[in-house]
Amino acid sequence: MNGSVVTYTLERCVKCMRCVQACPTSALRMEDNRVIIDGHHCLNCGKCMRACHSQGLLAKGSTLEDIKNYDYTVCIVPGALISSCRSLDEAENLFYAIRELGFDEVVDFTDIEGQMMQETRILAEADEGLVISSMCPVINKLIEERYPMLVNHLAPLNYPSEIAARKIRERLKDKGDVGIFHLCECEAKLAFAKYPYLNMQYEVDHALATVDIFPLIRENLDKGRLPVTLCREGLQACNPTMMLQMPDDLIADGFDKINDILDMTEFGLLERFRILHLFPCFNGCIGGHLLWGNSYLTKNNIDALTSERRKQPSEINIEKLYSGRIISGDEDPRTLMEKLAFFQKVNEQLELLPGYDCSACGMQTCRIMAEAIVNGTKKLEDCHILHSMKEKDV
Amino acid sequence: MASLLHKEYEVVRDDYSLAGKVSSDIKRTLSAVGISPAVLRRIAVASYESEINMIIHAWGGVITLDVMEDGTIQIVFKDPGPGIADLEKALTPGWSTASEKARNMGFGAGMGLPNIKRVSDEFDIQSSEAGTTLTLGFREQA
Repeated sequence: MNGSVVTYTLERCVKCMRCVQACPTSALRMEDNRVIIDGHHCLNCGKCMRACHSQGLLAKGSTLEDIKNYDYTVCIVPGALISSCRSLDEAENLFYAIRELGFDEVVDFTDIEGQMMQETRILAEADEGLVISSMCPVINKLIEERYPMLVNHLAPLNYPSEIAARKIRERLKDKGDVGIFHLCECEAKLAFAKYPYLNMQYEVDHALATVDIFPLIRENLDKGRLPVTLCREGLQACNPTMMLQMPDDLIADGFDKINDILDMTEFGLLERFRILHLFPCFNGCIGGHLLWGNSYLTKNNIDALTSERRKQPSEINIEKLYSGRIISGDEDPRTLMEKLAFFQKVNEQLELLPGYDCSACGMQTCRIMAEAIVNGTKKLEDCHILHSMKEKDV
Repeated sequence: MASLLHKEYEVVRDDYSLAGKVSSDIKRTLSAVGISPAVLRRIAVASYESEINMIIHAWGGVITLDVMEDGTIQIVFKDPGPGIADLEKALTPGWSTASEKARNMGFGAGMGLPNIKRVSDEFDIQSSEAGTTLTLGFREQA
């Protein structure tokens, strides 16, 4: 996953630099009055979109037009989205309304989300070290980017939506060309589809941004029902305060706290824990940026949705899942001497810069500006502060 | 041997609020240089433990970081006292002299020095009443 699902809409941008400053991996910069997103470093965490006040950034998914390209279509719905329903009746209305968009089937995969929680625990119990849950793509890429020494702790499991899609494909192998659409709660999940991002290795064909589709769903909300049975463990897995917590689990949400915890893990201070469940979004997946409900309200729905009847986590053949994710681990071809020489040059430039990290030059911080100067893509004169100080002197 | 990168940090006695700040900076600096994750992990563990030792056992001190010409990463932890009374015991797993306050904060399990020694490629400790100097060396594993 090297692409960013965030696209820049020039005409709405007011060039305030909020998005550039919000990025946890410094993947955004302003160049010639345009925001440039480095897809290689973008986590698809959506922090830039949340920081934007002018809708200058949008997460683009597939459209419903694509339904007609298939013989048979299935929409898969994550627990995070279903949690916006206050009762099972509402969930049944929601599933009906989704099917009315033109799908042949609407399928929840809370049973697989629940099972993946249990698989993570099985791994942690078999393993001596600490296991970091790998259900969130943002966490996985954050660790690759910022905490490479912790990559080995990530549970080597595939994503629930991918496993769900594979199971559906097996079941429907006689139905001709089957199109699987994932209705997504956040930007990060949008990136796991063949289209519109040309990721050929995924089982899900199309990713739909829930906010885009919701106005259409609403039109059919009270028109009928589809039977729905949900898995409690799967719904609970969407929220840090609702999930089943064992004494040696550590659960945290919000970017700042997660960084603290990953720092502590690197220092070897969390060895007494077995599993880390980390959610970059406040309140976990039900706090996904593409949902419409307030996550502090919707988390209270989880109990109601599974009080009348529920299904158990689904049995899945774990052996088949291990080929799932590939950790990039790009090797730096430079020698230590070359790396140090570059580092020294960057430090020399950094000394000359004001150090306010104001982003006015288009780069997130003075250090990144210093790197750009050493790489030759920027000049010291591009610093607005230095420029204005010079003018005052003259 | 010449040092290609040199940094110096001051550590303040009993200032728990700053515990780990130097180790974080060492980690960030070496990560920015491009030191490999495997070595960084060992450095992070050893430098955090050593930094905490200076805060809770010693009267503060100075930490220096050097990247040497041959690629060795050297970190020296130098404090002005009171010195380790029984060095042999201090190197024994489980032995601890940490104060009540430190133990209440979760420090002082008696695994400090043995752990530091385990993860370092070079380990030297000199101690007297005039202070303790801990010198650690790390190298990329071939």
